[in-house]
Parts: sequence; C-alpha cells; structure tokens
Amino acid sequence: MMQQPIPLMRRRLAGVLLTCGLLMAVSQLLASDQPASPEAAYRAMSPEELADYLIFEMGGFDLEAPTQDGGTARERLVQDRTQKICSAIARGGAELDRPTAAKISALAEESMQFPEGGVTLGDWRQGEAIARSGFGYRIGHRTDDHGSQSPGGNCYACHQLDPNEIAHGTVGPSLAGYGRLRGTSDAMLKHTYQILYNAHLFFPCTTMPRFGHQGTLTQEQIRDVMAYLLDPESPVNQEPEQTARAD
Amino acid sequence: MLKHTACAVGLTALISMTTEAAQVQAPEDVLGALIENNDSAYLTQSQQNIMMMPDNPALWTADEGKALFLEARGPNNKSLETCDLGKGPGVVEGAYVELPRYFEDTGRVMDLESRLVYCMTNIQGFSADDPEVKRRHGSDSDMMKLQTYIASQSSGLPWNPPLDHPLEQAMRDAGEVMFYRRAGTSDFSCATCHTQTGKRIRASVLPNINEPHEWTKAISWPAFRVGQQNVRSSTHRIRGCYWQMRQPQITPGSDAAIALMAYWTDAARGQPAILPDKKR
Repeated sequence: MMQQPIPLMRRRLAGVLLTCGLLMAVSQLLASDQPASPEAAYRAMSPEELADYLIFEMGGFDLEAPTQDGGTARERLVQDRTQKICSAIARGGAELDRPTAAKISALAEESMQFPEGGVTLGDWRQGEAIARSGFGYRIGHRTDDHGSQSPGGNCYACHQLDPNEIAHGTVGPSLAGYGRLRGTSDAMLKHTYQILYNAHLFFPCTTMPRFGHQGTLTQEQIRDVMAYLLDPESPVNQEPEQTARAD
Repeated sequence: MLKHTACAVGLTALISMTTEAAQVQAPEDVLGALIENNDSAYLTQSQQNIMMMPDNPALWTADEGKALFLEARGPNNKSLETCDLGKGPGVVEGAYVELPRYFEDTGRVMDLESRLVYCMTNIQGFSADDPEVKRRHGSDSDMMKLQTYIASQSSGLPWNPPLDHPLEQAMRDAGEVMFYRRAGTSDFSCATCHTQTGKRIRASVLPNINEPHEWTKAISWPAFRVGQQNVRSSTHRIRGCYWQMRQPQITPGSDAAIALMAYWTDAARGQPAILPDKKR
C-alpha cells in the first residue's frame, strides 16, 4: 500500500494511544458503557487501518465464536489477497485494469484443484437440492449445525436455474437451459467446474463465491450441481412450455 | 406556516421537492412521494406492506415508547426528558436523522441505541445488565419501544448526520471500508448485494446504496418486519446481514457497528426518512 511515511513522533504517539485504547477497551458482548474513543489514534490511522482496528482490536465483532470447521469466527474476517484487492477496487469505484484482472485470474489458477479421475457429472436430483438450499456456514446467534443438515450452495439466491422456478435471484446471470445451450463436452465440464471452484479465473473480482477454493461445496456436491446444470434430463434444461405469456 | 389551500399544497410540494421536507410526516406519505418521484423496483415491491402502512403495528410500539420516555423510571426515578440525543436535552423531534454523531460527554460517536443505553444508565440509574437496558429485541422490549418512538419523530425529515467533528468523519470513512470489505467463506461484503439497482436475492429486490431514494428506505429502521412479527432495529438488520454473509456477529454499540451506521446514514443524506417502516 502506497502511503506517506508517518513522522516518528506521530507514530510513537499513535502507538501509545493505541496501547491505551487497547487497555481501556472493554471486551463485552454488549458494549454498553464504553470508554471514550481514542480520538487521536483514530485520526492518525487511514480508513483501512481504522476499519481493521475496529474489527480486530476494539471488540467490534464476536471473534471467539466457534465456526463449523473447528476454528473461530476471527478467520471469517481475515482477508486473503483476492478479497483485499477486489474490496479496494470496489470501494474506489475504479475499473479493473488488465494487469490487475490478470493477477486475480492468476491467483485463481494457482488455487485450482481438479478431482482424481477427472471432471464428471453427479446426480442432478441431489444437485437441485443443493441449489435450493441456503443452509450452512452461518455463525453467531444461530450457528448452522452441519451435523444435522448438509450445507447447500444457495444458487437460487442469485441465479435463475429451472425456468419454472420464479423465486430466483438476478444478481448473477440466468442459468436456465445451461446444458441445453452448451452441451456436455469435456471442455464444457472443465469450464463449468472451474467456475464453481473459483470463478475469478474467468471473471476477476466476480460476486460469485469460490465454492471449491473455500471448500463450501465438496467435490461430490460440485459434481451434483454440475449435473443439475448440464444433464439433459435436469429441469434446468427442459424447454419451458410455450404459451402466449412466455418471454 | 402554509395553510392548506389547493395552491399552497402545490407550493408546499414544490418546496418539499427542492429543499427536502422540513416537517415530520407520516411514513406512508414519505414513501408515497418517493415512489411517485422515482422509478424503483425496490421501493414498489410488497404492495401489501405499502397498503398496510397506516395500520403498521410499529405505530403502537411508538406510542408505548412515548409513554416510557416520559415515565419516571429506574433507581433514580427519572424520565428520559433530560436525555440529550444530540439536539439538546429532551429534544426528540429531528434527533434520529442526525445520528450517529459525536457526543462531548462520552467522547464517542454514538448511535441511538448506544445513546439510549447511556441515558438509561446515567440518568435513570439502570445498570447495563438490567433487563430494561440489556434486552434489545422484540416489540415488547423497552429498547424497541423507545427507539421506535424517537425515530418516528424524525419521519419525513432528511437524513443529516453531522461530519463536523474529526471523529465523525473518521468513523464514517472506516464504515465505508467495512461496507466494501469482502471476507468470509462466501467472499461477501455489503457491496455484494447493495451496489446495483433492481437486482434480486431470491424474490426480494435489493436497495442500491448509490441510489439515495432507495437507500433512505433501506436504512429506515426501526421497522415492523412482517415475516418476524416484531419491530426491528438497525442493529438487528446489520446482525442479520452479517449472519447471511457467513461472517461473525457484530457487537452492538461497538465503534465498528457505529462506524458502519455512520457510513450508511451519510449515504442517504438529504433523503426523507420513513419511520417507522413496514418491511417483509
């Protein structure tokens, strides 16, 4: 990060004030009678520094809460490089330049892991259930218990899939007829797998979660979702009934 | 004050459009004007909720809040009439749309919820652990009654949180970073859902923070949430968002929570608040 070097005295002052702030910060779940904000410290920090400070040092979040993978909630707020870069670009309202897009894509390429035995299709019926389910990975006041129910992909939150399903989101492009329009060549299976695993490979700084890289869908689930998308028998690929009202 | 002649009504409407409404107005009238003056799929969704705004259960919650506000309570047997919400002790009208703001007596930028906690503990003598203070959720909680009443006294007034104090600016800017901060197992940030117009998550149209006429409704809390059958606060909404984003629970009253609210209120600056609102 390009920054003006902060003069030594200001850095020392900020350090002392930060320490005071840390000592004074009451770590309760309900910050009811918080001490005064360490004003000089806050003003000495950049907005990015202050945001991280409020998140990690000033009791902004319940960082010790357990997560489903045996860790703590803190991990959910530590950013990786892709998240950091894409956040900064979004906040600045800047266009993604080619070198940055290439960097994000390269990071996705590095992360890519293919299944043993190659990319294959699973069961579209299971895929449909995964696409519909928004269960999983939520923590805090209600932590999703992965022992009682398996996490879903929540695809319908953002995408149209089955053309007969009207309760679908529009944040992502429509996937109705996905397989019917593209076929099931090895290349198409690989391409689809890569999008699900880490869509930043083709769409740097995409909104779409990195289901494979983050491990939020298992290999088996990815195969099943791919079948929902690509299997000719899947509801996704049935031609919608042609009526006077059809678009 | 303009009298209600046909000509004056038109003139009032013209002035309202150019200088923003300066009077407390019923929330359904505020929303009606926004819908008429803008083309927004977000504002016009849930026709049933819009139609039922005059019968919003949150209005009863606000009434109960007014009674609580005026009642002598707590170990000190005092009312909240000397509580300074930013515009002077006991001034409720217009206070909510100027929050969060810096308070000299605490040295913090505070939102309504944290300011109420301060007044209830310092003026009325409650402790932070007393149920009157500790319980933040539910239409029948003191907190929601008081918040809903105080907020209702800003309905129709333009959001206008001060940015004069350097801490106010610093918190607002940190809140902006938080809004765009992608993290967690789904790489979500607030911006993931709230920076495009007319997009849906499942069947719900999302408000765009870059469209102030939409964003004013987005942040108009307290609001009665039909699906939850309770009046909910800003904190409750933010908590729900972080839960959906697969990120940790934000601490109510923390500088992180207040920074985010400082940013989101600044984003609606100048637009009239719809309080209390009625939402899905």
